[in-house]
This record gives sequence, C-alpha cells and structure tokens, in this order.
Amino acid sequence: RCFPVLVHSPSLNLCLLFRVRRLLFLSEPRPLTPESLEVSINSTCQCLHLQWSIHSLPHHQELQMIFQIQISRITTSSVVWVGNYSTTVKENQILQWSWESELPLECATHFVRIRSVMDDARFPKPRSWSKWSSWEEVDAQDSLGHNALFVFPKDKLVEEGSSVTFCYVSRSNLNNVSCYLDGEQIHGEQLTPNVSTFHLSHVRYKRTTGTNIYCEMKQGRKLAGTVLYVSRTEVLEEPKNFSCETQDLKTLKCTWDPGSDTALTIQPSSNYTLFESFSQKKKVCEDRNWCSWQVTQDSQEMYNFTLMTENYLRKRSVNLVFKLTHRAVRPMTPLNFILENINSRNATVTWKVRPIGNSTFQCQVELHHDGQVIQTKQQNNVFIKVNGKYLLSEMEPDTHYLARVRCAYGNHFWKWSEWIDQKFTTLEADAGDLFSIWSKVCFEMIIGIFDIFFQPLSKSHANGEILFYNIAVESLDKSSKFNLSIPAPHNDTKLTLNKYSYQIHVTANNSMGTSPASVIVIPGEPGHKEIEEERVKGTENRFSLSWEPQSRDAIGYVVEWCDHPQDPLCGLQWQKLGPNTTSTVISSDAFEQGVRYNFRIYEISPGWIASLLEKKTGYSQELPPSDNPQVTTSSLTSHSFTLNWKDYSTESQPGFIRGYNVYLKSKMEQCTSGFERITPSDDSAGCRHKIDNPEQKTFHVENLEPASSYEFFVTAYTSAGDGPNGTFTKVTTPDEYTRMLTHIVVPVILCILLITVLFYFQIQWMKEKCYPDIPDPYKSSVLSLIKSKENTHLTIMNLKDCIPDAIEVVNKPEGSRTQPLGTGKPLTETELTKPATYLYLLPTQENPSGSGPCICFENFTYNQAASDLGSSGHVPVPPSTPPSQLGLLYSPENLLKALEKYYTNSLGEIPAGETHLNYVSQLASPMPGDKDSLPTDPPVQAQCSEYKMQMAVPLGPASSPPSEDTSLSS
Amino acid sequence: MKVLAAGILSLLLVLHWKHGAGSPLPITPDNATCTTRHPCPSNLMTQIRNQLLQLNSSASALFIAYTAQGEPFPSNVDKLCGPNVTDFPTFHADGTEKDKLVDLYRIIAYLGASLGNITRDQKALNPKDQNLHSKLSSTADTMRGLLSNVLCRLCNKYHVSHVDVSYGPDTSGKDVFQKKKLGCQLLGKYKQVIAELVQAF
Repeated sequence: RCFPVLVHSPSLNLCLLFRVRRLLFLSEPRPLTPESLEVSINSTCQCLHLQWSIHSLPHHQELQMIFQIQISRITTSSVVWVGNYSTTVKENQILQWSWESELPLECATHFVRIRSVMDDARFPKPRSWSKWSSWEEVDAQDSLGHNALFVFPKDKLVEEGSSVTFCYVSRSNLNNVSCYLDGEQIHGEQLTPNVSTFHLSHVRYKRTTGTNIYCEMKQGRKLAGTVLYVSRTEVLEEPKNFSCETQDLKTLKCTWDPGSDTALTIQPSSNYTLFESFSQKKKVCEDRNWCSWQVTQDSQEMYNFTLMTENYLRKRSVNLVFKLTHRAVRPMTPLNFILENINSRNATVTWKVRPIGNSTFQCQVELHHDGQVIQTKQQNNVFIKVNGKYLLSEMEPDTHYLARVRCAYGNHFWKWSEWIDQKFTTLEADAGDLFSIWSKVCFEMIIGIFDIFFQPLSKSHANGEILFYNIAVESLDKSSKFNLSIPAPHNDTKLTLNKYSYQIHVTANNSMGTSPASVIVIPGEPGHKEIEEERVKGTENRFSLSWEPQSRDAIGYVVEWCDHPQDPLCGLQWQKLGPNTTSTVISSDAFEQGVRYNFRIYEISPGWIASLLEKKTGYSQELPPSDNPQVTTSSLTSHSFTLNWKDYSTESQPGFIRGYNVYLKSKMEQCTSGFERITPSDDSAGCRHKIDNPEQKTFHVENLEPASSYEFFVTAYTSAGDGPNGTFTKVTTPDEYTRMLTHIVVPVILCILLITVLFYFQIQWMKEKCYPDIPDPYKSSVLSLIKSKENTHLTIMNLKDCIPDAIEVVNKPEGSRTQPLGTGKPLTETELTKPATYLYLLPTQENPSGSGPCICFENFTYNQAASDLGSSGHVPVPPSTPPSQLGLLYSPENLLKALEKYYTNSLGEIPAGETHLNYVSQLASPMPGDKDSLPTDPPVQAQCSEYKMQMAVPLGPASSPPSEDTSLSS
Repeated sequence: MKVLAAGILSLLLVLHWKHGAGSPLPITPDNATCTTRHPCPSNLMTQIRNQLLQLNSSASALFIAYTAQGEPFPSNVDKLCGPNVTDFPTFHADGTEKDKLVDLYRIIAYLGASLGNITRDQKALNPKDQNLHSKLSSTADTMRGLLSNVLCRLCNKYHVSHVDVSYGPDTSGKDVFQKKKLGCQLLGKYKQVIAELVQAF
C-alpha cells in the first residue's frame, strides 16, 4: 500500500509523485449521473422506451455500470416499478432500455427517472449511487385527438389463459360510460377522474376475428372500442420432419412440415430462419416449408442446422446435425433412360447420372410385367460413374414390359433417387423359336366321328399370336390323306373318319412360321379295358397323381381331365408328360371344392397310340353331403323297424360318401343297443349309429320298446362331415297285447261268426231240437168253436179239446202264507165267462228286487182280458172288482195293499174249490234258488215257473170287493 | 383477392386522380371533346336506373352481412353505423338530369373507393366470411358498371368527360375496431343514399 509521506530527495520525490498518481486513480470516482434521458412510447408493445447517455467517463474507458430505473404512474410519488439494468458503458454512448407496461400507456401519465453506480472491479467498494435524473413525464393522452371516448390498448394480441388490462379515457363525466366485452358488461376500477381500468384474467379464445371490447357513453351516443385477439397456444407448431439433402453437393435443400396454419387474422405470418452453427450463418426462409442453403466450397463436411420460427407470441426451433456426404446426398433422377436392341427375349437399357464430383453411383434396374416385378434376378444393382447400361434378358416374346432405374450415391448410400421408367414390348419370336405343340385327340367313336381338341399354346410358347392350326390326317395304310386348317381362336374340330387307324399331325402357325407337329394316332378299334377307378385326395387346387407304367417302351403319358365336369363342354384339359414320368401334379385355378374330378392317364405307345392306363377320381376339397337320404320305414313291430334309403345317390355328392349316421331319439335315457349317445349334455341330439359302408342303404333298428315313440334321422357323411340338418321322422311301435289280440281275437271272432252263420242256417233244426214251438192256443182249433159266442174276448180253455201234457195243481204246503190249494176242480162255464184275473208276479220297475230268472209265457188262451190288462199296466185286478175299484188298483198304493191282502190272506184262504190251475210244460222245471231271489214274495216265487202262471180265477168270493179282512182270492 | 382489391382501388385512384383531388372541381366544359373507352349502350338511363335498383335491393343484405361480426355491431347500429359521414358528396335531387348525373358520378366514385377499402379490410380481418366478401364484390362490380354508364351518359349527351371526385378516409392505418366502425358507417350511408338515388332517377 502506498501512503502519503514527506520526502526530500529527488528519488523520493519521484516515488511520491507516482504514489500520488496511483492514489488518485484508485480512489472512487465521483458518481456519474445519467444524462439526456428521453422516454418515448411504443403503443404496439405498450413499451416505454428509454435512452440516455453518460458523459465524462473517467479516462475514456469502458466501465461496467448499473443503472437503476424508477417508473411512477399518474404522480411521481406513485412508483410502480423499480429495477436495475447492468451494462458496459462507453463514453458518449447512448444507452437504451425498454419497459413493457401491463397497463396501456395511454391510460395514465408515466414518470421515469434513472441513476447509476459503478460496477467495475477496478474501483473499490463501497460505491455510491449517483443522483437521480430529473423525472421525465410521458403522457400519451396528449396525442389522442378530439374524440370524446377512447379504449386502450388497440388490437391487443395475447395467448389464451393470460391476463390483460384495458382502460377507457373519457373527455367528460365518467359516470356515463359503460363497457362491454363481446356484449357483456364489465366493471372496472377508476384510475383517474377520466380513466377507468378493466383487468381481464384467463381470457379465452372465441374466434379468429377477435373479440370486440367497447365502451359507450350514455350521453352523446358516443361509442369506442378495440379488438382483443386471443391466440391458442398451439398456434405455432414445432416444424416436423426437418431434413436436408443435396443432389449436387452445391446446394442443400432443407424441407420440413410447418404444421397447420391457425394464426389469427391480426397475427403476422410466422417466418422461418435457418441457422448453421459451424459457419455461424443465418438465412431467413421465404417459404413456410423449405429453404435452400448454399454449400460452402471450403469442404465443410459437418453441418448443424437450427430451424427457428417465431410469431408475436412464441418461438419454436428444431435441430439437425449431419455429415454432408454421408447423410445428405441424394442423386437426381437418372436421365436419358433409353431401351435399345429390343428383340423377342432381350433388351438393353441405358441411362445417365449427373455426376457429383468423382463419386460412383449405385443404380437399381427393375423389370415389371403386369404391374409386378418379375424375377428377382432382374432387380439388379449396377455401379456406374455417369453412364449406366444393363441387359434385360429371359423375357417372353411379344410381351409388354416396363423397365425402370434409380440411383443412389455410391460412396455412402443414403437415399435412392426418384425412378425413371419406360414401357416397351418384346418382338415376336422367329419360327425356329417355336416350342413343340401338343394336340390331344379325344376319340369317342360314334359312327366314326372324332372330336379333336387343340390345346392353345401358352403365351410363353406361342412366341406371338397363333393364327391357325394345320391338321393333316393320314390313314396308317396310306390309302387316304387330307389336310385342313382351323382358325386360331377355335381349339377343336370334328372329323368324320372310317373305322381305320389314322395318324393326325397338328401344327400351330403364327406370323413368323410353323411349329413342329404334334402327332397322335387314332386306333381303329379303341380298347375296352376295364380299369378300376382309384380315389385320390386333392389339396386346394391341385392333385398329385402317380401311376404304374405298363410298358417299357412308352414314349410318354397324357393325363386328361375336365375343368368343369358338370358342364356339357366340360373344359377338357390334358397334360403331356415324358416317358420316364410316373407322377405329376395337376393344378388348375378352375378346381372347385366339392366337385369330383376324374383323371384318365394314357400311355402313349411308340406308334403314337394312346391307351388308357389308370383312372383316378377325387375332390380338391371334400364337402359335407349336399342332401340327405329319403328314408322309408318298413317291418314295423313292437320292438323294431327297418329304415331304407335305396334311392340315395352317392355319386352326385360333393364328397366321397363314407357311410351314414342314423340318429334315433326317444324318451328312454339309455340308447338302444347298437347306438351311442353322441352328446350327453344335449338330450335332443339322441343316439347315433354309424354305418361305415356307403353301399349299405338299409338299417334295422332293434330292441325297441313296444308302444313307444321314436324319432329317427339318417344322414350321409363324408370326410368333411355330416349332411345338412334335417327333420326327424316319428315312428311309434305298436303295443304288444294289441298284436296278440289281433292274432287271437280276430280268428275267434271269425270262428264265432262262422258258427253263427252255420247255426243260422241250421236254426230250424236247432229249434226243433232244442226248443220247439209252443202251441199257440189262439191258433188252436178250439177257438173256432168259440168265435160264434157273444163274447169274442172270452177265451175258453176246454180241456176236452186239449190234450195237455200235464196239469199240475200247485199247492205249496210250506209256510203259513201258502196254503194247499186243495184238489182241483174243473172250472164251470159261468165261472169261465167271468173275466179271469191273475196276478202278474213278474218283477216290475216298482219292484226290481223281485227280478229273477223267471221266464213267463202268458197264455192268452185262458184270459184275454187279463192279457190286455197285463199289457197295459200289469196291474192285477180282482175279478169282481168294479171299474171304480179297478181304477183304484192302478195306483201303486192300492196295488200294494191289494197285494198284501191277497198274499197274506187270500192265498192261504182260498176257498175250497178255487184251486189255482197252472199250466206247466213238460219241459219246464223249477229254477233252483228261485225262492231266495224273491225274499219278499217267496210264495209267488215258489209258484214261478218257466211258464207264466196262468190262472183260472173263480168269480165267487173272489169277486166281492176287497175289505179289510178279506183279500183277493184266486 | 387482396391484389385484385388493391388493383381496383389503384385503378379508381388513377382514373380520378388529379391535382387537388378531394375537393370538387369544375366539370368539363360542354365543348370539350369526350371519348369513352368502351362503346356506350343506347338505353343508358334505363341501365342506370336498373343498376341503381339492383344496388338498392342488395344494400340492406350487405349491411346486415357486415354487421354480423360480433357485438356491438348488430345491436348498436345507430351508434356505430350511423350515416354521419362528414365528407360524403351531396346530391341535389331537384337539379337537372345532368346535375344529378354528375352528383351520382361523384357519389358512386366515393362509394366505390370506400367499398374497396372495406373489401380490403374485411379480407384481412374476416377472411373466412365468404358471404360478406361475395356481397362486397358484387356491389363493387355493379358500382363499376354504373359508374361507366353514368360517364357514358355524361359524355354522350352532355359532353362531360371528366368529373372531379372526392374520397373517404383511408382506413389502412387505423386500428381494427376503427376499420370495422368506419366500414359500417360507410355501408349505412350507402344504404341510405342509394334509396334516395333510386327515387331521384
């Protein structure tokens, strides 16, 4: 440290002088007050722009200084912001600084002052602030004009969600001003007597054309406003897919995807700037999605690009670093692409590439046919300098092709160039290039008519358009020969030949020549060898066939089939195979699943005679049967029935029928023997019996329950499964007893009928033998004598005229109720003239209990009146009963009373001489047990016989009216 | 479209610019030679009347379309869009046909230039409102035809080849709200004056 001291020597004087100068330099300089402070307003950004200068910088040096700025609003004492600004200051430098105000600057007067302090390390601390500059007043309202009302800020652009402050400035009374945001009134705070502010927080986007904010003065019809633009945050997207490439190592083209342009109408379009950090160069891009960059000639290899974009609110940038020759060179599209020396099979392509320095190029050549790249062998990479050349080979004659080429930078592959292509057509081939043609003769001999089919040459073999076919027919004995020509579109013809052997030569012709001939010999008598057909299994659209050679000297084989066997024309196809071939794969796009294809393999003998070798048949893919058998039932018994489907065709199905499934459903839980339950969880599925023999078209269902209902369904199955679902047919087994009855009862009935018929015809004999007619007294000759009498109704039994078999006087001795009738006494004539009365002892409805096996025959010979009476009511009437009394007896009560009296009294009290006379046939015999059958009237029952009791009732006492102690008497 | 609008405006300015433009100048003397760029049709007055009728019939729709750009315009038409255009050319309905045609020419020239400003502003401020743009363009086209016919009539019959015209304020430096307001005022004035012109012719 140097301190001030007194010295007297010259050397000391120098030292002191030096120290004084040093002290003077290191001591704190006087504070430098900012001068010439000017404040201006930028209304667009609502910024206060300050500029000032520092004069009298010590020693004309650059000093680091701190400036403190103070901003007041309305009055100088209302400081709204204080801040420091540090910078390096040169002498007489004009310093600038800006401050963005939240409140629109037009809304209030602002005051600004500034002071400074040294912030340089060369000066010791503490350092003192300079004096404040004088307040600079900024009043934007002075320049507003003469309108009565203003709204600020103008055309404000903010991001969505931010806050913004508005104000209005009025020239008159504030109370009359109302402000609105898009039609809704908003309320603010009064800032000064003629200014009010409105603070809007979290403003929302409404429309691209902005939101109107306006204030109106009630008096004077004044209205002022401004527009607030709220921008969405995603307005400025980050550029995507930023990349740069060069085609000549001179100019880089950088491209990017700017994204959607959703800028507001007030918003200036965002611009894009490209900055390269190694060269520190910058370029403002004119377009939104690409920019060119001049490659420097100083062999700059590495590039570090930054793409920047910004708008009023945001900035975005993306970066890209690459090595020019490694990751940016993409050659231009090749040029001068030419096809040369095109012939039927080959062509040469040539092209050029714009050179890039001394580098090589890797080029790719492709050959297309029918829109597809053909043969990977022809995708070739060629390394060239400038001129490229490649031979396209193995093409087909008369065929359209497309050749194309593209190239990439050979030193460091990065990207292919664009393709360049050209179409061309190969020439037709010469006649010598024709391949052999095979003609197939299908000899179905029907009266010597042959169908000859030509297999059209494939395009690869035709070498051009086939115009016609030549057919030369020659008999083997050389006796006849003729030629004919068939136009090319036709592929068959008919020949009418004799039953001789012919040799047929077929050649195809195009514009360039004739093909070698194909030969076939038609034998005079085609063989009829029986060959068993063998089944083959196809896969999708192909069949693998193999066969056993029959003779060693066969010159080839032909496999024949029809593409459409169900069509009449059948689409005959064949394939010619070499002599050593014993298998082949027949493939055709025409093969369909579910169609049976038949293949015939012919062996071609050295004499060009085709003989059938083998037959194959199969499906490319089997399908389930298309229909089910029509099943009939027969032999139905109580335990079995038989199913028949004889008419079911197994040949017309879309698969080989392997057998049949017989489904049987019943109410039984267990399946019938021979059946298996197929799905236990599903009772409706029932039981199944599988028949493995497709030729078995009958099935006997056994072990069934009698009188049970069964349902059956028969379906065929192939390897692909069962036939379609069908309906079950119901069968009910008959009852066993019914069957038995049918077998027993019917014959019995028949026998009975037979016997009945026999009996009918022998009835007279039977009648005579078993029950001869009872003589009818009315038909007796005695009656003829009586007819002359006055009472025609009176019947007289004249014993003299009759020869009775026997007359029995019934006199039941037993019981108190039955009294012996005494001896019989012949009836007198007078007695007989009186109406005879008899008791009808047969059971009636009123006395059902009296029924018994008693058969009574009325003998009206004795009493017609009694007969009449009995027929009218079977009411016995006493002989002497007057009509009035008779009428009384008709009532059941009277009848019972009468009967009581009659049976309880009269029977036992029959006077002598009033004996009952019973006519008893000789054949009649009392029925045993009759007494018991009529317990209430045992006496009557005892008198019942097979003949109805016929009584001749005496008229004496019995005719007297019945009384209490008297009863009917007979 | 901006280029087209600017071109139209420039053409009008070039056609009618003269030293001292903005203040009416004397019309061409009767004995001056009068030439028109295009041959004039014979039924000029009928065409002029029809064009006035056409403009009058579409004026209200144009005004409504313009005010449909958010509050306060639809509901404060009287305050914002009142026909208080200060320097609008006057029309003397009781004058001679020649005087009326001269007034008509000045009015249509004023309206055409103002319509060009409005079209330019609206294409910048309201670029997606095709309805308004088409109406503005259609009106401007009709005005150009009307202006041509009036000039033909003045030239052929009255040998007037030049009429001094004035234009409204340029809105290019004004804020958005002011542009909208001035456009609305102009269209309000247009709707009012075109009805009077129809009555006069």
